[in-house]
Amino acid sequence: MNKLLLTALLSFVVSQGAMAGELVKMKGSTKGRVNHEFIYQDGCQSCHQGSGRKNATDSACVECHGDINSIDVDETKLAIPEANPHKSLHYNQGASCLACHGEHEKKAPVCAECHRTWFEEM
Amino acid sequence: MQGRRNFLKLSAGAAIGSIAATLPGTVQAKTCGEINWNESVDVIVVGSGFAGLSAALNTKRQGMGSVLVLEKMQVIGGNSAINGGWLAIPKNPTQLAQGINDDSPEELVKDQIISGRGMQNEAALRQIANRALDAYELCIDTGVKFKEGFNIQVGGHNKARAIRTQHGTGGDITTKLYEAGVKEGVDYRLQHYIEDFIMDGQKIIGVKVRKNYRFPDLKTGSSIFIKANKAVILANGGFARNMALRAAVDPSLDPTLDCTNALGATGEVTLTAMAYGALPVHMNLIQTGHWGSPDEGGFGWSNALLSIGWHQGASISVLNGKRFMDERADRKTCSEAIMKNRNSDGSPAYPIVLFNYNNYAEDHRVTRALRDKMAWKLDSLDDIAAKFDIPADELKHSITEYNTHVKAGKDPLFNRKMDTAEVLTGPFVVSRIWPKVHYCMGGLKTDLAARVIDGRSMESIKNLYAIGEVTGGIHGEARLSSTSCLECLAMGIVVSETIKADLKGAV
Repeated sequence: MNKLLLTALLSFVVSQGAMAGELVKMKGSTKGRVNHEFIYQDGCQSCHQGSGRKNATDSACVECHGDINSIDVDETKLAIPEANPHKSLHYNQGASCLACHGEHEKKAPVCAECHRTWFEEM
Repeated sequence: MQGRRNFLKLSAGAAIGSIAATLPGTVQAKTCGEINWNESVDVIVVGSGFAGLSAALNTKRQGMGSVLVLEKMQVIGGNSAINGGWLAIPKNPTQLAQGINDDSPEELVKDQIISGRGMQNEAALRQIANRALDAYELCIDTGVKFKEGFNIQVGGHNKARAIRTQHGTGGDITTKLYEAGVKEGVDYRLQHYIEDFIMDGQKIIGVKVRKNYRFPDLKTGSSIFIKANKAVILANGGFARNMALRAAVDPSLDPTLDCTNALGATGEVTLTAMAYGALPVHMNLIQTGHWGSPDEGGFGWSNALLSIGWHQGASISVLNGKRFMDERADRKTCSEAIMKNRNSDGSPAYPIVLFNYNNYAEDHRVTRALRDKMAWKLDSLDDIAAKFDIPADELKHSITEYNTHVKAGKDPLFNRKMDTAEVLTGPFVVSRIWPKVHYCMGGLKTDLAARVIDGRSMESIKNLYAIGEVTGGIHGEARLSSTSCLECLAMGIVVSETIKADLKGAV
């Protein structure tokens, strides 16, 4: 895990200018996040259950990032303190990463289904 | 029975096909007939709202063995996670501390009989009301926090008996029940969509599930078969988000109506149960609220904001700047009046509601609505006319006229009760309105013990249970506020006792 994070950090430094989570062209027509660039070099299997034909699952995210309640959110950027999506009053630990995060496309978080003014597209 | 044998063979074929395609190399246990089950558990719970979470935790606590909760969405909690967190509990500690000692489960049932208009199931309501304190204890025991000292009388109740969660959302309950379940060994899986039931005659023996499903795309994920040794509990909620079904059972429901429910409230598991003979009742009884705002999703703040708007303010059509209804009339009357506001192409011309800002500037109903941009503070009628494209002269004329009605205490236009109305001087709080579909009173017929009834035999379908909004015929014509959460939590307890009793009977 540490090795992965270090690689991620290096990759982030190398790709100057681009923001960590920015969506860019990765492989062919596939888009992805700049901070995940190093994963693409290994192919799709590390996120997609061993095969690009299968859906990604949470376990791939959790392996590097930890579980939802252990990932800090920059609270200065929240519309209101209660809008912390990692400590949601509605779901707390009961949310999949995929409910709010898309790797290959922009995705509005599940909170935006009701709280339309709280969240930017992610 | 020939039917049964053929069906099992058919399912087996489907199983082998899909497994060959998606799970090469997996060893399949051949445990029942010719179906290749991918796994086997004691109890399967479909859905993870109040009902499913309560059922899962309580069956686990009853010692029923392995309990698996299947949720098709990417979050736990279903519609309950976004609900308002109201819970009607006769004799709750706060009520007693307020000195209200004359409430009882029977008093709650009395109110529900009035609201049910003869279509309710009194015995079912009584059973639920009698388990209210158990439901409350379940919450307290799992760490749910309620607003301190808060117990009020909500619409249609004759006593103050509704408590509310700390943050005013059902999520305060669902997150706690879920976390308690995780600790006690309940297995929860997200993105598991029920494709089919596996029946052995009039008995359910398992489910076909699309694993890694991504709502709403049925092509995502892959099929697996999960055997249920003891029970399948349907707790999949209502179908208010299923536009086609909604229109089929109640053609009067306008297709432009949004919905207060979470996106997953589409009812396909209800339809699957019906396809296997489960008897549907009261499917056309669907509750709408005339207090929705098109400027927010789900239930939102509008309902609370309009408790000021309807009483102290006025509603105006953007088409002609005129009032168009008695703002204090009942839901149905107001909904119908609101929906007459249409542009020439038939699209909604959302009417506005306005009231004075100054008296309510600090009221959280106002501060939250303004913060989330589903209402606006506007200083003058000219500003309102400009923002919502209303003829300014007509608007001004209507408000002047309205103010004379307020002063006279009489509304000659719509005969509204004017006792709470305020002269409108501005600055104003202004929001837009359009009704939303809210709750399905109809669903599957069950017996009192939550067993699903087969309409062909009027006997229960073995091992199949249903609780919560998926069931029908309990509330009758209309459901009272703060009673659904109670029903779901209480029936989660009841169903666990039923399954235990049924298993004893089977031995």
